[in-house]
Amino acid sequence: MKTIKLLVALFVVAIAIPAQAQNADEVLASYFENTGGMDNWKNLQATKMSASINQGGMEIPVTMINTKEGKSIVFADFQGQKIVIMAFDGENVWSTNQMTMQAEKLPQESADNAKLQANDFPDPFLGYKEKGYTVEYVGTETKDGTETHKIKLVQEPIKVNGVEEQAITYYYFETENNVPIMTESSAGGQTMTNTMSDYEEVDGLYFPFSMTVQGGIPLTIKSVELNPEIDATIFEMPAAADKN
Amino acid sequence: MKKTILAVLALCAVTSSSFAQDIVLKGKELFGDMKARHIGPALMSGRIIDIENHPTNARILYIGTAGGGIWKSNNGGATFTPIFDEHAQSIGVVALDPSDPDNTVWAGTGEIWTRNSVSVGDGLYKSTDAGTTWKKMGFDNSERIASIEINPKNPEEIYVGVMGALWNDSEERGVYKTTDGGITWNKILYVGPSTGAADVLMDPNDPTILYASMWEFRRTGWGFNSGGETSALYKSIDSGATWNKIQTGFPAGKLGRIGIAIAPSDTNILYAVLETEDPEKNGLWKSTNAGQSWEHLNNDFGLTVRPFYFSRITIDPKDPDVIVKGGLTGSISRDGGKTFQNMGNQHSDIHDVVFDIHNSDILYSATDGGLYRSWNGGVTLEMTEDLPLSQFYHISVDDAEPYNVYGGLQDNGSWYGPSSSPGGVEARDWNRVGGGDGFRVLKHKTKPIIYSEPQGAAAVWRYNTEIDKVTDIKPVPENDEELRFNWNTPLALSEFKEDRIYIGSQYVHKSEDMGKNWVKISPDLTTNDPAKQDKESGGLSKDKSGAETHTTIFTIAESPVDQNVIWVGTDDGNIQVTKNGGKSWDNVTANLVGIPKNTWVYHIEASVHGKGTAYAVFDGHTSGDMQPYAMKTTDYGKTWTNIITDDVKAFARNIQEDYKNENLLFLGTEFGLYITIDGGKNWSHFTNEMPPVAVHFIDMQKKTNDIVMGTHGRGVIILDDISNLREISDDILQKDVHFFSSKEAVMKESGGFGGTSTETQFVGRNPSSVAQITYYLKKRHTFGKMKMEIQDMEGNLVAKLTPGKSKGINIVNWNYQGKAPKVAGGKTISFPFAPRAKAGMYKVVMTKGKKTYEHTFEIKNDPKSTTTDTERAQQREALSNLSEGMENLAYLVYNIEEYKKVAQNVLKQNGAVKQAQDVANKLESLRAELVVTTGDMYVQEAEDELREKMTNLFNDMSTSYDAPSKAQLKNITTYKSQLKEGQDTFEKLQQKEIAKFLKYLTKNEMTPPTLLSKEDYLKS
Repeated sequence: MKTIKLLVALFVVAIAIPAQAQNADEVLASYFENTGGMDNWKNLQATKMSASINQGGMEIPVTMINTKEGKSIVFADFQGQKIVIMAFDGENVWSTNQMTMQAEKLPQESADNAKLQANDFPDPFLGYKEKGYTVEYVGTETKDGTETHKIKLVQEPIKVNGVEEQAITYYYFETENNVPIMTESSAGGQTMTNTMSDYEEVDGLYFPFSMTVQGGIPLTIKSVELNPEIDATIFEMPAAADKN
Repeated sequence: MKKTILAVLALCAVTSSSFAQDIVLKGKELFGDMKARHIGPALMSGRIIDIENHPTNARILYIGTAGGGIWKSNNGGATFTPIFDEHAQSIGVVALDPSDPDNTVWAGTGEIWTRNSVSVGDGLYKSTDAGTTWKKMGFDNSERIASIEINPKNPEEIYVGVMGALWNDSEERGVYKTTDGGITWNKILYVGPSTGAADVLMDPNDPTILYASMWEFRRTGWGFNSGGETSALYKSIDSGATWNKIQTGFPAGKLGRIGIAIAPSDTNILYAVLETEDPEKNGLWKSTNAGQSWEHLNNDFGLTVRPFYFSRITIDPKDPDVIVKGGLTGSISRDGGKTFQNMGNQHSDIHDVVFDIHNSDILYSATDGGLYRSWNGGVTLEMTEDLPLSQFYHISVDDAEPYNVYGGLQDNGSWYGPSSSPGGVEARDWNRVGGGDGFRVLKHKTKPIIYSEPQGAAAVWRYNTEIDKVTDIKPVPENDEELRFNWNTPLALSEFKEDRIYIGSQYVHKSEDMGKNWVKISPDLTTNDPAKQDKESGGLSKDKSGAETHTTIFTIAESPVDQNVIWVGTDDGNIQVTKNGGKSWDNVTANLVGIPKNTWVYHIEASVHGKGTAYAVFDGHTSGDMQPYAMKTTDYGKTWTNIITDDVKAFARNIQEDYKNENLLFLGTEFGLYITIDGGKNWSHFTNEMPPVAVHFIDMQKKTNDIVMGTHGRGVIILDDISNLREISDDILQKDVHFFSSKEAVMKESGGFGGTSTETQFVGRNPSSVAQITYYLKKRHTFGKMKMEIQDMEGNLVAKLTPGKSKGINIVNWNYQGKAPKVAGGKTISFPFAPRAKAGMYKVVMTKGKKTYEHTFEIKNDPKSTTTDTERAQQREALSNLSEGMENLAYLVYNIEEYKKVAQNVLKQNGAVKQAQDVANKLESLRAELVVTTGDMYVQEAEDELREKMTNLFNDMSTSYDAPSKAQLKNITTYKSQLKEGQDTFEKLQQKEIAKFLKYLTKNEMTPPTLLSKEDYLKS
């Protein structure tokens, strides 16, 4: 019996070694396979995530909806007020001004950049070649104390404060399971690091239920709904309401 | 058969023990969330070597610094971000690929202005993402790279000028070329192992034309030489295949360092600055025929001063007659070099100047004291205030709360500043306590006295900060004897006698009266080797700054356990120790097995763990030996044990022991901080927000357990509270989860209005002032739920926290806040601040998958608080009372809104139904008294209603550290009675209008509102 265990252990060691010689496509294929299968990801039409942000002892519920068409909205429902943190209807990016609580458009540059990302649902790596992105396997790196595969994703150039720049995101896939646990990107000289953990299954697909976004704000996902019914008008910027 | 089983068991044993060893974690895997904290300062900044601007985007600027890495600005130099924090911090050159300047950046490491304190580089790097990530492109042994020239028509063709090693011969120098983008390199110009490339230029109009200046130079611990037969200026017109000297007109004999420049607007015009055997012919030369012949223009001071330190020439891109030359002040000519004027006031020692690409009135200047920008062609200069590049030679700390950090800087005097300050550590927090270059700065234990010194102990200042009085207490030599003080002269204080101070020349001098009177307590403890006492250092240009004074004492340490035990280390390799306060000295140098002879004894740390115990760190880099050396003795130096392993990748200067755990040591090296938790058997490179910057000195603050580092290029960097590292053992590393005994959590009642800094000024981060829950995870948590709660000892939820998921040490902050009450909805947001938890014991409950881990810890009130326990109890009671009212209000408003919604639906669907209209109207007018129903969140806001009044009162009390006032308590009663009125009104409505409306609904088979219970509502 001990012999068998030992053999198994040695076998594990033996297969663990060639895993180092990875390339980006192998990591990505394994990622999609381990998180529900490429076809299932491709068939996904929309997601609705209910999350919460803890601010000063208050739990603020946040909803995030993303669709395959590229429309998206993130909003908080709080004290009877719906505060849109960011919404994209395919043309405009808008949000709620927290002084007036009215919707306002964000700069055209944000809308232009959002349009470039419209084909990134549910994952920019899905069909990245057809989208004209490039992907490069950079090497292994220790992130969050664990070994990761570092993969560089280059998307269409974006504009930041009027100047065009490369859109590069580095993804770190934990070598043990090939799911991303961290991303790093920079725009206008500002670097942003997001982390992902607590992956859980939802109808066959795996999503991270705990994230830090915007460079460190913790976001806890309470539930994920796949292909929810969505009122299409939710993404549209409302006309100015009564300002009394 | 039996044998087989035994063999298998043996194998298993081997396997499992080797598994156990695998868990001896290193680096990032061990340190997890522990992060270094940078407090600058940036107000004096530090030396900058090279400025590179983008050829088409004037907003983008890169700077290469002497010891602080590469920084990038996206806003024309207003603010900068460090972009080279994982690599050698000493930079020689930064270059953008002219055909892809948005993305491709090259960096050559190793400073090229070769002063005594210069740091080292480790090769060439390339970035293809505008500096976010870098790849090594060779030249590991180049030490310093001066030039990178890229063919604008072919980015694969690149020339690199390698200056090479400063302290030894090396063949990795000269001019190199690649034609495959840096995969392979050919050495295309090499003249000898002591001569490197000082400047390589490509004609911007014709990439086949190259210029290269070769420089013979050498530094030792005791001297410097610039110049020789092999220094020369070369030109190639065939892409580097052949090279010819272009020196027509230059004087015969040896040449020194040559700086060259090509006028961008007319590439036949060249300028060169020369160092020759004929002082008349030094300075600026000009060629108008691309180097065929040269004319001498000028040998003014500004053009000949210290060529090894200043030889950069910059030509206005739009006007070949406007020339700037680096120097003590920087010189600018507007007549093609005939005459020069000094640049405007800025920090002295200008190493590089760059003109804005569009407007030559704008220029940037790299100095020993940071980056300056001019808007009027160099006449007036303003300093960039965002670059914490300060180069400390030494630091120390005091016992104040918060403690102060004292230290001296390269060309920037001596300073002290707090380790934390309201709003962060900013420029105004720092105080100047010495001029010149600054070195050791020490605070008297109890008196308002600070000792400081400039280079070579030209003075030793005793500064009384209370009366702002400075006294020079430098020991006066007896009988006109010459004292040899090192550039970086050791000063030391005593743990036993607070007025005692030591200083080292070739002797140890001791004073018992704060420097008023000194006695020599040793003979000459150095080798006193006359060969190392050269006073005519410099080579072609004499350079007598005192920087090369050698055969001196460099470190003095009085044992913290026995004042009669004093350790001394000298720059020429001696360790001497006395056990009787200096009556006799033992030279224990011969016992240092494995340390090359005469290796600089950079630091001795007298241990608190034993009278005869000490650590010594040796630095051989000034003789070309880049190995780290550190040894430990426990028997007064009779025997020594090597405590360095292959883990340490750079030469070392300093060591700091932990005063509690003898096996915990911190090593300051040329490439950053190393930590051992097993007495030097394994070392881990600490890299969490800690760049591989030269760490010149480390001190430990014993109250806070902070490791404080004086770095030579990134200012003061602090590793807050290392006490967790004391606890780490193999047993802990085997556990899935281990909570460290948390550091004392004190709810400090301080908190002013913060600082005065603007966005363009550097502000150092403060340490965490909240409770920190620290634990070790054996494995990174990626799949499944992981949650953390703070509970009171009865298991009631106090706060929900987001746990860290990293493998290694995780630190979770809790700001002591509990839950805030639920607040009613309205037209605006009314945000309550959750009150602080009560002092006492709490539990951390962490669930990870199916397992639960618990840890208890205590939070305490601020011992400096003026609030009594009774007052705190009153505050808690008042808050709880008001909080109950706020939640009752929230539930009432919820009920109102739910009925109103249904009523409005009926009105929408069935038209004017009286019952619905009555309900809607009455509910809305009640609601309008309870919460704000109009206006905005700014200057159009409505008058406060009950909700807003309650929240405001709640916040006034919850953010206060004091008991509620009588008026506040009265207001609680008032608001609660107003709430009661609202509840009564609602109850009446329920009996009458709402009852009628419900009947209507039943009759019409319509659904009444489904209301949550109050308990469920508060949870929702």
